[in-house]
Amino acid sequence: MMAKLGALARYLLGHDPAGRNLTTFPDDTFIVSYPKSGNTWTRFLVASLIHNEEPMTFLKADKVIPTIDSQSRKYFKSLPRPRVIKSHFPFDQNYQRVIYIVRDPKDVAVSQYHYQIKRKVLEDGHPMDEWIARYVAGETCPYGSWGENVGSWLAARQQNPNFLLLRYEDMIQRTDVELIKIARFFGIDPTPERIQWAIGQSTADRMRKLEQQEAGKWQSTRDTRKDKFFVRSAKAGEGKATLSPAAIAQIESAWGPLMQWLGYETASTGKRGTDRGPSERTFLEAALEQRVR
Amino acid sequence: MNYHLELMMKKLLGTDIAERNFAIFPDDTFLVSYPRSGNTWTRFLIANLVYPNVDVSFKNIERLIPDTSSQSSRTLRRTPRPRFIKTHEYFDHRCQRIICIVRDPRDVALSYYDFQRKYRHIEDGYPLATYINDFVSGNLNSSGWGTWGEHVASWFYTRRKSKDFLLLRYEDMMADPVRQLVRAAAFLGIEPDPARIEEAVQRSSADRMREMEKTQAKDWVATRNHRTDIPFVRIAQSGGWKEKLPAECVAQIEAAWGDTMVALGYELVSAIAQPAIRVLAEKQTAR
Repeated sequence: MMAKLGALARYLLGHDPAGRNLTTFPDDTFIVSYPKSGNTWTRFLVASLIHNEEPMTFLKADKVIPTIDSQSRKYFKSLPRPRVIKSHFPFDQNYQRVIYIVRDPKDVAVSQYHYQIKRKVLEDGHPMDEWIARYVAGETCPYGSWGENVGSWLAARQQNPNFLLLRYEDMIQRTDVELIKIARFFGIDPTPERIQWAIGQSTADRMRKLEQQEAGKWQSTRDTRKDKFFVRSAKAGEGKATLSPAAIAQIESAWGPLMQWLGYETASTGKRGTDRGPSERTFLEAALEQRVR
Repeated sequence: MNYHLELMMKKLLGTDIAERNFAIFPDDTFLVSYPRSGNTWTRFLIANLVYPNVDVSFKNIERLIPDTSSQSSRTLRRTPRPRFIKTHEYFDHRCQRIICIVRDPRDVALSYYDFQRKYRHIEDGYPLATYINDFVSGNLNSSGWGTWGEHVASWFYTRRKSKDFLLLRYEDMMADPVRQLVRAAAFLGIEPDPARIEEAVQRSSADRMREMEKTQAKDWVATRNHRTDIPFVRIAQSGGWKEKLPAECVAQIEAAWGDTMVALGYELVSAIAQPAIRVLAEKQTAR
């Protein structure tokens, strides 16, 4: 009862986390991804692109692009519009403008596994194959499985002009090209100076240094192990290099067609998949094609 | 502020409408659909199948299979498990067992048009073409469910291969309700005894539901305080769009959601600007 009263008091004061109950506006832009898919890096890039007057930090990025289920409704109300908001939720029809970042689920698995060790959810050396089974079932994360999260957004919005799909791998390989797409999505003139400045603010090296300074204050690292880092490999391909063949087979058997559509390597597509980027076919066409084949 | 105080009191008492904010259990079964797709009929079929000794009516349907958009989180909490829950919500990954009812969006649009007149969301004589435009672009004033395409695609493409997902097409249910209810029974682990199935279908017939609506409309939350000159249980037919929906409206719907419609087996009739879909549609029909 006291807990309930506390929750009610927080609600009345607007201090409850916004989450699904956020009042959204048509000019809000949401940066959405499954966790551990490059969302924090993208926030750094976007925050530096928009607020190009002073150096970016974790705490500042958190302020200007707050997380939907960790900041209060009151805070969101106080943000000047147009707002940019970070979210990991599966499809939400209230989000009108969406930048969705996707990453190879094999790499997401490795990253999430290590982050859970950092957060003391898992102990060091926890058997990976057992964990992968739960990962594939969507039991390791409160935002659905990778396939559900990605699939729900692509199915509902992929052809919508207000939906920008970015692959983490492309962002790593050609950050400037992808950031220009982002700038255009925001209606920002992508001058080379502005793009390069934002990239410079968001390098893995710079973010690692900042993490050392801010880890105790930033909500995603506060109260986690200090011998493990939030900004980890910042690379593509770790899943393939480190996961067992059985683990990779589990991931591909759950989400093979979706991975193929996104251009990620699977046993049947081989390596050529990786550079190609998302299929030329729309997501729904590809799904249909698979069905009638 | 008054709104917040009222909501706070409701939350305190547990009388706030559940929507997406209630605890879900692994043994829950959800009857999911976009509005006006045969969900109420399916609710009656399932309730009559599961509770053969109960006289299922509009008076008790909310107790037997509560609706997340009209019942409180407390009512849902107090519903005995395993629960059957009706919802129009788009994809929610927490829901495990899903009976998903889909209907041709060209018919959904017409049914929704009448329904929104009944609810006084739109006036009589609201231009149908404008309505279809609202329907396709997500601008209905009950837009919280997403568009038909967003709603259906978000469930279908995330769950269609799951063993806990049963897809029922309204049109198939109309053509052979017994056969579809046998599928539902198998999905729910209920012995599909022919007499029991037949009985459930009879008790849920459109005629019987119309009769019940006449006397019970004031007892049911979905019809109480709404226009009584437009019935909730409408024509209960499929394909009405062929006569009543102007060609340009049909084209607009098909252009927006042709791919999902074809995937669900709905034939496209307009020369839509997506040749790839047409080719796939022909392949699908040829199969």
